[in-house]
Amino acid sequence: MKVVHSWLKEYVGEKLPDARTVEDLLNFHAFEIEGVEQVEGETVIDVDVLPNRSSDCFSHRGIARELATILDTPLDKDPLADSPQLDATDEISVSIEDVAACPRFTASLITGIQVKESPDWLQKKLKAIGQRPINNIVDATNYVMYAIGQPVHAYDADLFPKVDGKWQFVVRYATAGETVSLLAEGGKDEDRVVELNGTELLIVDGSSNTPISLAGVKGGRYAGVHAESKNIIIEAAHFHPTITRKTARRLGIVIDASKRFENEPSRELPVYGQAEIIALIEDIAGGRCAGVLDEYLEKTTNPKVEVTLQKTNSLLGLQLSIDEVAHIIKRTGCSVEVAPDAGTLTAQGPFERTDLNIEEDFIEEVGRLYGFDKITSVVPTVTKSATINAKQYYTEKIRHCLLGLGFSEVVTTSFHKKGKIQLQNSLASDKSYVRANLSKNLHQVLDMNFSHTDMLGLRDVRVFEIGTVFSKSDTAITEHLSLALGVRTKGNGFTAPDERIVVAACDTLEELLSASLAWEKEKGVAELNLSHVIEHAPAPTEYDAVPSKSPMRYQAVSQYPAISRDIALWVSEGVSAKAVEKVLNAPTGDLRLRTDLFDEFTKEGKTSYAFRLVFQAADRTLTDEEVAKIMENVYQAARANAWEVR
Amino acid sequence: MQIPDGHQHPLTHMIAEINDIFAKIGFEFAEGPEAELEQYNFDRVNVPKEHPSRDMQDTFWFKAKDVAEPTVLRTHTSPVQARVLEQNQPPIKIIAPGKVFRNEATDATHEAQFYQFEGLYVDEGVSLGHLKGTLEYFFSEFFSGKIEVRFRPGFFPFVEPGIEVDMKLLEGDSKLAGKWIEVMGAGMVHPNLLTAAGIDSKKYSGFAFGMGIDRLGVMKYGVEDVRDFYTGDLRFVNQF
Repeated sequence: MKVVHSWLKEYVGEKLPDARTVEDLLNFHAFEIEGVEQVEGETVIDVDVLPNRSSDCFSHRGIARELATILDTPLDKDPLADSPQLDATDEISVSIEDVAACPRFTASLITGIQVKESPDWLQKKLKAIGQRPINNIVDATNYVMYAIGQPVHAYDADLFPKVDGKWQFVVRYATAGETVSLLAEGGKDEDRVVELNGTELLIVDGSSNTPISLAGVKGGRYAGVHAESKNIIIEAAHFHPTITRKTARRLGIVIDASKRFENEPSRELPVYGQAEIIALIEDIAGGRCAGVLDEYLEKTTNPKVEVTLQKTNSLLGLQLSIDEVAHIIKRTGCSVEVAPDAGTLTAQGPFERTDLNIEEDFIEEVGRLYGFDKITSVVPTVTKSATINAKQYYTEKIRHCLLGLGFSEVVTTSFHKKGKIQLQNSLASDKSYVRANLSKNLHQVLDMNFSHTDMLGLRDVRVFEIGTVFSKSDTAITEHLSLALGVRTKGNGFTAPDERIVVAACDTLEELLSASLAWEKEKGVAELNLSHVIEHAPAPTEYDAVPSKSPMRYQAVSQYPAISRDIALWVSEGVSAKAVEKVLNAPTGDLRLRTDLFDEFTKEGKTSYAFRLVFQAADRTLTDEEVAKIMENVYQAARANAWEVR
Repeated sequence: MQIPDGHQHPLTHMIAEINDIFAKIGFEFAEGPEAELEQYNFDRVNVPKEHPSRDMQDTFWFKAKDVAEPTVLRTHTSPVQARVLEQNQPPIKIIAPGKVFRNEATDATHEAQFYQFEGLYVDEGVSLGHLKGTLEYFFSEFFSGKIEVRFRPGFFPFVEPGIEVDMKLLEGDSKLAGKWIEVMGAGMVHPNLLTAAGIDSKKYSGFAFGMGIDRLGVMKYGVEDVRDFYTGDLRFVNQF
C-alpha cells in the first residue's frame, strides 16, 4: 500500500515525524516498509501491510491511525471519529437475495453534478500513489477508497429508470451463462464481456434485470458514469470476502476494490464512505445529495475479550503492570475496562479493527507497541535430546561411509518432465510429475559430471543421493526415502568397471548396517528403499559427532570450458611432488584452476611425476594459444630447475 | 592413485549441524511427509480455505483422481507442527527440517523446491524471551561467532503474536557481516493449533519458527544462486 506522507499528515497533524522516522516507527511497531520514493513532489512510502491488518490498514487513515497509536497521540482529524448523520432517501430501494453475501448496502443520490477534470490537489494525490486521474467522479471514488479503505462505485442514475418512483437495485447471484459487460480496465479501450457461472454476486437494475456491476469487483458498462452524466448514485456496501475473492480470482480482475472486500473490512465502514464521497463530490463536481439509502441487514460488533495480565506477561516474556497493559491497548482506540482485582481487563477493538478477536490478538498489540526490543532473552538450558531420530542417524551414517569411499552427495530435483504421478497445476513443464526414483536423476548427474573430472581433479565420478520418492496407492500418494549411488569411469557411458565399484560400495554398506539389502542395480547405478532398511534397523542410542568444516566461501563456477594440459618430468629422487608442483604453478597466473598429480614412479635414482594442469577463465573461452603460452612458462620453470621434461 | 574422500552436500551437512545444535538443548528431530494432506498443510495450521493468507504460498496439487483426500506437495514444514502436537503432550521440543515446494517461477533467490526447518517448543510459561534466547544460541553456534537478533511485527497464520526475525553477524569477513538480514518468521503458537490438538491453551504456550536452510547456506557460504543446490554439479558440491 503506497501512502503519501503529506496525506498522512492531514490526519496525524504536525506531530507526524519525517518520512525516515515514519519508516522506522512502522518497521519496528507495525509493518515492513518496502521503500520510500519521491513522486510528483510528494514523499511516498510503500507499506507492506500485514494480511491480518488488510481489513483496516489498506488506507491512509488506517496507516495514520497506526502512527498515532505508535506515537501515543490522538489523530488531529479522524474521518472515522463520529458516526455520520446522513439524510434518508425514498428514491432508491434495494432487494438483497442473500444477506450473508451482502449484509449491508448503501446508496446515495447526488443530483446536478458536472463531470470534469479533478482539481490539482486530487490529481496530484492519485498520481503520487500511481493512479491515473480520469475525471472528478471516478477520482473521488478512488480517493475515498485510498483515504479510508471503503470501495465505492458511481452509477449514472439517468441510464436506468425508476419504477414506482424508485431506482430499484437488486443484489443477487448471477445465473449460469449470464453475461455482464464490464467497464474497460485501466489502459484499455475495449469493454470486457464476461460470462458468469452462477457463483458471482451481481448488482442489478431491477427495472430490466440487467447487471450493472459485478459486486465488489468491477462496474458494468450499462449504467457507467460518462462525460455528460448529471445525476449519479453512489454505492458503498459490504460484500462477502470469499465470494468477492473467488469471482475476482476466477475472472482475473484482482483490483484494489476486490482486494479490500476480500479482507473483510468493517460493516460499519460503508456509511463513512458515503459521508466522505458526498462531501467531496459536492465540493469538486457541484450537485447536491438528495439522500442515502442504508440497508443494514446483519450487523456485527467486535467481541469483548478478556485479557489476563498473567498471560500477557507470560507470552511476551515481560513484567508489565495492568495499568501499562491497559494504556497500550487504549492507544489503539480500543475500549478497555480493568477488572477490580487488577488481574484482567476487558478490551474491545474500535469498529474498524475486525482483526481483534482473541486474547492473543490483544497481547500482540501490547508486544509490538511496547516494543519487541524490550524482550529479555532466556538462555536455553543444556539438556540432551530424549530420542534419537533413526532416519537422521542412519542417513548420516550412510553418508559418511560413502564419503569415505569417494562418493560425493548430490541433492537433485523432485520433479520430472515425464513420469507416473502427474501434478494438477504445475506452472513449469519440467515440473509436471514427481519423481518415482532417484536413479533417473543420478544417471544424468553422472553424464554431466564426467566432462568435469579434470576440473574436479577426479579420475571417475562417484555420486549418491538420499531423498524422497513417490508412488501411488489406490487412494493416496505414498512416499519413502530412497538411497541411490552411481559411478562413471569412462566418458562414453556405462562400462563394466562402473559396476564393480558400485557393487563394492553396496557390499560396504551392507557390512555397515549388518544387513542384506535389496538393491536395484542398473547400468552403474544402484538404488534402495532406505525407509524400509531404517524401519528394520536397531534403534540408535546416540548421534555420531558432526564433523566440523573449516569456514569457506563458495566460488561461482565458470560457465566457460576448461582446458587440460599434462606435463611429465624426471627429478632427482627425494624431491617431493609438492615442491615440484609449487615450481610448476608459480608462472601460471590466475587462469590455472588446479594441478593434480596423476602418476609417479622412481627408477635408478630418479623420480617421474606426471601432473595435469587445468585452465579456465571466468569470463571467456580460453584459446589453445593462450594455454600454450602459459605451458611454455611452465616448461621453462622446470628446465630452470634442471628437471627433464619427458 | 588414492581415491579422495567425497564431499557431503551443504544442505544435508547444515541439517546435521542444525540437529546437533538443537539436540544439545533437548530438541528432537521430527518429520512429516512431503506429499502432505491439504488438511495438515493448511487447515490445521490455521490457514482456512478461501482465505487470503493462502495466497502467501503457491501450491502444487496432486490430481484429485489420485487421492482420496486433497493432497499437496507441502509448501512449508509447518504441518509437522500440527502432526507432532496431535500425537504428543507438552513439553514438546522439536525441530523439523525437510524439503518444501512452491509452484512459482524460479530465479537466483527462488527455487520451486527448497529446504526449511521448523522449530517448536510448547510447555508451561514459554515466552517470546525463550524464542529470542533460543535463536541467539542457535545463530551464534551455527555461524560460530557473535550475532544479534531482533524482532519486528509479522504475520503468519499459525502464530499470534507473529514475529519477523532479523539477524546480524557481528564478526567475520562475510559480505553480510554487520548488516541486518531478515532470516525467519516466528511467533507464539496460535491457540487454535493447540486446541485442535487437544492441548489446553490456557495452561500451555509455545513458540514456533521456520526458516529456509538454503538461505542459511547463502549466508554461511556465499552461495549466490539457490538453484545451484539442486543441479547435481560436483563443481558446486565438491567445494564444500
